[in-house]
Amino acid sequence: MVEQLLRLKLRLLGNAFRRSRWHIVGLVLGLAAGLGMAIAVIVGLVGLRFAPVDVAAHGVEVFGAILILGFVIVPLVFGVDDVLDPRRFSLYGIPTSRLATALLVSALLGIPALAMTLISLAQIVTWARNPLSILLAIIAVPVIVGTCILCSRVSISVAAFLLSSRRSRDSAGLLGFVALAVFAIGFILIYRTNWLEHGAAVLSGIARVASWTPFGAVWAAPADAAAGNVGPALLKELIALVFLGLLWLAWRQLVALMLVTQPRAAEARSYRGLGLFRAAPVTPASVIAERSFTYWVRDARYHASLLVIPVIPFLLMVPLLIIGVPTNVLALFPVPIMALFLGWSVHNDTAHDHTAIWLHIASGTSGRADRIGRVVPPLIVGVPLLVVASIISAPLYGDEGVLPALLGVGLGLLFTGLGLSSVGSAQFPYPAVRPGDSPFAAPQSVATASSLIQGLSFFVTVVLTSPALYFAALALFVPGYWAWASLALGTILGVLFLWLGILWGGRIFDRRSPEILGASMRN
Amino acid sequence: MKRQTSSKAATPRATTGAKTPVRKAPARVTPPRAPKAKPVETVLAIQGLVKRFGETIAVAGIDLSVDAGSFYGIVGPNGAGKTTTLSMVTGLLRPDAGKVLVHGVDVWSDPVAAKRNMGVLPDRLRLFDRLTGAQLLFYSGTLRGLSAETARSRTADLASAFGFEDALNRLVTDYSAGMSKKIALAAAMIHSPRILILDEPFESVDPVSAANVTQILRSYVDAGGTVVVSSHSMDLIQRICDHVAVVVNGAILDSGTMESVRGGKTLEARFVELAGGRTSVEGMAWLNSFSD
Repeated sequence: MVEQLLRLKLRLLGNAFRRSRWHIVGLVLGLAAGLGMAIAVIVGLVGLRFAPVDVAAHGVEVFGAILILGFVIVPLVFGVDDVLDPRRFSLYGIPTSRLATALLVSALLGIPALAMTLISLAQIVTWARNPLSILLAIIAVPVIVGTCILCSRVSISVAAFLLSSRRSRDSAGLLGFVALAVFAIGFILIYRTNWLEHGAAVLSGIARVASWTPFGAVWAAPADAAAGNVGPALLKELIALVFLGLLWLAWRQLVALMLVTQPRAAEARSYRGLGLFRAAPVTPASVIAERSFTYWVRDARYHASLLVIPVIPFLLMVPLLIIGVPTNVLALFPVPIMALFLGWSVHNDTAHDHTAIWLHIASGTSGRADRIGRVVPPLIVGVPLLVVASIISAPLYGDEGVLPALLGVGLGLLFTGLGLSSVGSAQFPYPAVRPGDSPFAAPQSVATASSLIQGLSFFVTVVLTSPALYFAALALFVPGYWAWASLALGTILGVLFLWLGILWGGRIFDRRSPEILGASMRN
Repeated sequence: MKRQTSSKAATPRATTGAKTPVRKAPARVTPPRAPKAKPVETVLAIQGLVKRFGETIAVAGIDLSVDAGSFYGIVGPNGAGKTTTLSMVTGLLRPDAGKVLVHGVDVWSDPVAAKRNMGVLPDRLRLFDRLTGAQLLFYSGTLRGLSAETARSRTADLASAFGFEDALNRLVTDYSAGMSKKIALAAAMIHSPRILILDEPFESVDPVSAANVTQILRSYVDAGGTVVVSSHSMDLIQRICDHVAVVVNGAILDSGTMESVRGGKTLEARFVELAGGRTSVEGMAWLNSFSD
């Protein structure tokens, strides 16, 4: 059984390389990224061999606990597509224990397990300080790898179990996003701690707690042994082993449970009437806009971008804070960044429809109507948002004279970005998250090609808005009416580019609509 | 002409008050209908249609003409090129060669005019499923240029004809496969097109609904409309269609009125004969000795 499943996993891994060339490139990049990170960690662990015991211990315990915790959290948040879901084997009548073992062993074949093996081998070097610490570090290798793999298996299965209905899947993605936002805010708070004074104390405080948790104990046992605390070392080793045993029991129970459980039926909610569609008048462009808006309200994939946009400026502020940009200057960043991302958010909107786009093609809808309908929701959301944000930001910066410049840059970036998106989503649709999938699950696709398109559309938007940006910069340093020039240029050029983008994108859509449908079918 | 016996009883909402004690199964073989005597107008003409995907030739030069008022069935095994052909007819897939004329208008040189006359049900393509059923019908109607008033009243009519009034306010993504098929079918006919191109309209539709849908399509044909359906269910096509084309490996092996194609046999027997017979089931003796 174990051998057969190992072969199956190998075959699945091998087949991943038999897909399109871009797919292989993405896979190789993923492999390189995973191994690169592992190597960085390994170098760090080897380096810690020469650090004092308590410094090395704190670092390894905190970092190690975070690593194992990652194996629990990542599947819950990102909704990993489990190729070896126990439920897929329910029809074969395999005894539960054998199946649970075989699935676990085959999970060892993969980048995460490989990376964790290398990392756990490296921590032997860190703790090569006395016989007991070496012994405990060697025992830790299988325990760490086993704990990580079991954690992810249990977590994936629980996720698959809980998230089997559409509605819970939708909300899980958003929960994940909230977790991300909390993480970002936590980072800013952590950043505000004065590390030079209190850093070591904070780290050792976290480490002291983490080392007694099941996630940190396995890393802490050799560290305590190295420091000469034999009692705590053995106790922590015991905690780690008990945790591993409990995880195994949980996994076995989950497999047994999943083999006999039907997927949950989705509960249907009722909506009343036509919703937004009641709004008159009806033209193809207006109903597409209403449909698009309905999706922004109902579809988790759009919720994700709506929620990400207000948070991104703060995420980007973190590095700027670190390099010492004054706080009042930071107030200038949210408006342009939100505008840029909002304009960019629909650059792959056609692909979000997936094959449902056939309706627009079969009904002979004009490309222009399709393009207009898709830019209306971000305009309705974006313009008031940018105006309000500009009004708040200008006093925070300390000079209300920059208000027109902020507006000019913001509106310019939004309009230009939407115009460019209108062209891009017709000419270069690339595989997007499919309707109903987790908004954070990357589609099986061409990571490289899509990131090229994403990067390029950002870049071109900024270049096309450069006149407004130039005068806005001038307004910051030189007295005069430059801010108003920025407002005028930003709005006029923005509207121009938006209109040109809609016309051009509409022409492209009319010409290559069957190819757009074809591209969506390949996803 | 009309099959009053089975179809009326099988429609759940057709009978008001009158209690029909016996519900006859709709799957009865009725005598084939005589071809209509009407002034012949070709509403769909396919000429030399070809589509290649890399090395494989999916459609190898199909010619077909469908007269107005006919109920045309396209049968063939899986992978015969039915869906590919219909996709090229409806403007969803660009052909490598050939022409498609709908009501005299070329689909690929004047798509806007040609598509106006077509109602389309594609196979295995998504719907805008985050809309409710009512919204999807309204959306399909208004995209086709109906006024809000017309779209709304036709939505109500279609819902009662197809029997999904109570599902109108639910999201299409929560529908069953058969329900989605029915709502897509309703969306295809909301703008009262001249010709309906339906790819596998009966797949995963339950027998009662199928009889109901058949009756709707039949009355549409009786009123002068034209229906082209594809299916791999020979029985169904033989029962409901008056014309048929047999497609195998991307080519039409036979086409014409149902009687002329059948030639006295059942459509299934004739089809098996055309497609080259069944592969015989040999070397499966082990299946007869059960393992424990």
